[in-house]
This record gives sequence, C-alpha cells and structure tokens, in this order.
Amino acid sequence: MASSATETTKESSTSGSGSGDNSETKDEEKKDDSMFECNICLDTARDAVVSMCGHLFCWPCLHQWLETRPNRQVCPVCKAAISKEKVVPLYGRGSTKQEDPREKVPPRPAGQRTEPDPATAGFPGFGFGENGFHMSFGIGAFPFGFFTSTLNFGEPRPGAAPRGTQQHLEEQFLSKVFLWLAVLFIFWLLMA
Amino acid sequence: MANIAAQRIKREFKEVIKSEEVAKCAIKVELVNDSYTELKGEIAGPPDTPYEGGTFVLEIKVPETYPFNPPKVRFMTKIWHPNISSVTGAICLDILKDQWAAAMTLRTVLLSLQALLSAAEPDDPQDAVVAKQYRENLEMFQITARHWTNVYAGGPHVNSDCDDKIRRLVDMGIEEHQARAALSSYNWDLERATEQLFS
Ligand SMILES: [Zn+2]
Ligand SMILES: [Zn+2]
Repeated sequence: MASSATETTKESSTSGSGSGDNSETKDEEKKDDSMFECNICLDTARDAVVSMCGHLFCWPCLHQWLETRPNRQVCPVCKAAISKEKVVPLYGRGSTKQEDPREKVPPRPAGQRTEPDPATAGFPGFGFGENGFHMSFGIGAFPFGFFTSTLNFGEPRPGAAPRGTQQHLEEQFLSKVFLWLAVLFIFWLLMA
Repeated sequence: MANIAAQRIKREFKEVIKSEEVAKCAIKVELVNDSYTELKGEIAGPPDTPYEGGTFVLEIKVPETYPFNPPKVRFMTKIWHPNISSVTGAICLDILKDQWAAAMTLRTVLLSLQALLSAAEPDDPQDAVVAKQYRENLEMFQITARHWTNVYAGGPHVNSDCDDKIRRLVDMGIEEHQARAALSSYNWDLERATEQLFS
C-alpha cells in the first residue's frame, strides 16, 4: 500500500511539468527533517548518536532506554543488540565542542545517606528506652540545650511572654521544673 | 519525564491522524483528556476474519515513563479471542509487555493489535476457555467470535441460532451477557450451559 501511494504522487508531480521541480525539492526537505529525528522522542536529535544498526537517537533518550532495561539491551527500532560502548557520536560541521555526547549525561549520582539528627533521634529514647545508645544521647544533649536557654536571663528571648502575665508565670514555672529535672539527671548519671 | 511522554503523544497523535490507515478507516485515535495521558483507540476488524465488519474500541493509558515503557491497552468492546480476556478485555501481546521498544508508537500498537485479530496465538492465551475452543473446535470458535462481533462490535453477521438459545436462557431469568458467555464457553450446548448457570 505504501509503495502504491508514493507512485501516484510521483506521477502527478511529473505530469505537472513546470512546478514539478519545486514540489519535489520541498518534499525532499521534509524527508530530511524527519531523517534526523530521534527515534525515541521523535524530535530533532540532540547530542546525536547512531547505533551499529544505523538508528539515530538523542544520547539522553538512548541512555534512558538502556537504563530502563538493563537486562535487555536492544535497539528501540530494530531490536538488534546494542550497548553503550558501541554507539557512534555524530558531530555536525561547525560544532565548536567535539566532545563525546556519551560523556555529557551526568553519571549516576551516588546514593546519599543522611545520618539521623541526634537531637530528634535521642529524645524518644530519653524515658525508658531499651536502647542504651539512644538513652545516653538524649541525656547528654538535652540538659545542655536547656541550660543555655534557661540561664540566658540577660537578653530577652524573642517571643518571651511579658513579665507578670499568666503565660510568663507558667513559663517560669516550666523552666524551673525542667531545671530540676536536668539536675536530677546529672545526679542520676553520677550515681549510675 | 512526564513532559517527554506528553510531547511524544502529541506528535504521535498528529502522525496517526495523517496516516493512511486512518484514511482507510482501519484505525483511529481520540483524546480522552487534555493531558494526553488517556486515549481512546479504535480498530476495524480485519477482513477474512470473524471480526470483519466490527469496530473495536480500546482504552489506552499512557504511563509517565512512556515511551520507555509501553502504554497500557485494553479492549473496551467485548471480544471472543484466545489472546484477549472475554471478561476484562485484558490483552496478552508481547510488545505490550517485555517486547516493547521505545521507537514503537500508538500507530504500531494499533496495527499490531489488528494483526493479532488476524493471527491468534492460542499457545500463549489470555483467555483459557477461548483458547481451548480455538484449538479443539475451530469452526465453533469462528461462529462464536462472529456472533460476538455482531452483538458488541456492530458486525454484519446475525446468527439466529445463537440469538434463539440466548433468548431461551434470558426467558429463564438469566442476564443476556451472562447467558451468551455461558453458551459460548460450552460450544452453544444449551443443556450444559443451563446446568452450569443453575448449579
Ligand atoms: Zn530523543
Ligand atoms: Zn536498530
């Protein structure tokens, strides 16, 4: 079916004597455009590479295809075996940087591990934790943070309630309670 | 990546609309929503098959990782075929699974499904009952598939024998599709179908 369709267009262009040339070149331009389209994103190939079977891709597109199926590395078009090493980068005329597009895809980022935050991790173990590590952490960190805030009478903390109000009294009371708790802990630590 | 998927579906959509298969009314694609994540496909039953003259509607869902992973396709039109579930419309076709390749498009998927209607693969079935009938009683399979095409896909071949048997079960209080499914599964043996439905 496809061949019969092209035949009819050829016939019509040759029969239309004068304008025939013009339309043919236009056709060719169109073909050229799609010839340099990536077979994966269907857009003009950027950082183009060609597989050994001759199929054109953007390197980022092909790279992602290879990453998606690490166990089945086949050409997305003809399913021939392909590999990262066996693709040819394409350099057009006038491209200033002749760098291998395969080097442009950032290498896979290394896994990132963040250590648990000691302040938050320590607190849950602070009461009757079964875990000795957590417990000592909590006790160590907690009172110190506390002393710095409670013994800091000189400069008013932002957000501290005005003197004499109910809230102020409550805060004062709480501070004392915690101060006592801290002292008790230090005492308990020394005894233990 | 969702961006790549939408961009590509847009391009493919234009490609399918311009394709000669659409001109011949063999395949069709329509958008279901504006985000290009869900489409409605249509394929014509291939000539010289029990599906001839029928139009089969497909649900196409485009994953965010498209085209690196295949679209999810399912028959919305009920169909009697060894590789398609007569209950859910699920399709057993390798290119929609591990044989998918990123250069395939909506157009190639629809054409592959059309080819599947022409050439069933009963050794790799999706619907075991249909596949068994296909292997053991091909004539009965063709009668059944043609009847389903007539009822659900607008095919031209009315089978009055099938219709009569279904009517008898419907008169006994069975729902029409349930009656059709039971009769289809038992090679249109009214007695055995009745037995199964009332057991
Ligand atoms: Zn690309
Ligand atoms: Zn290839």
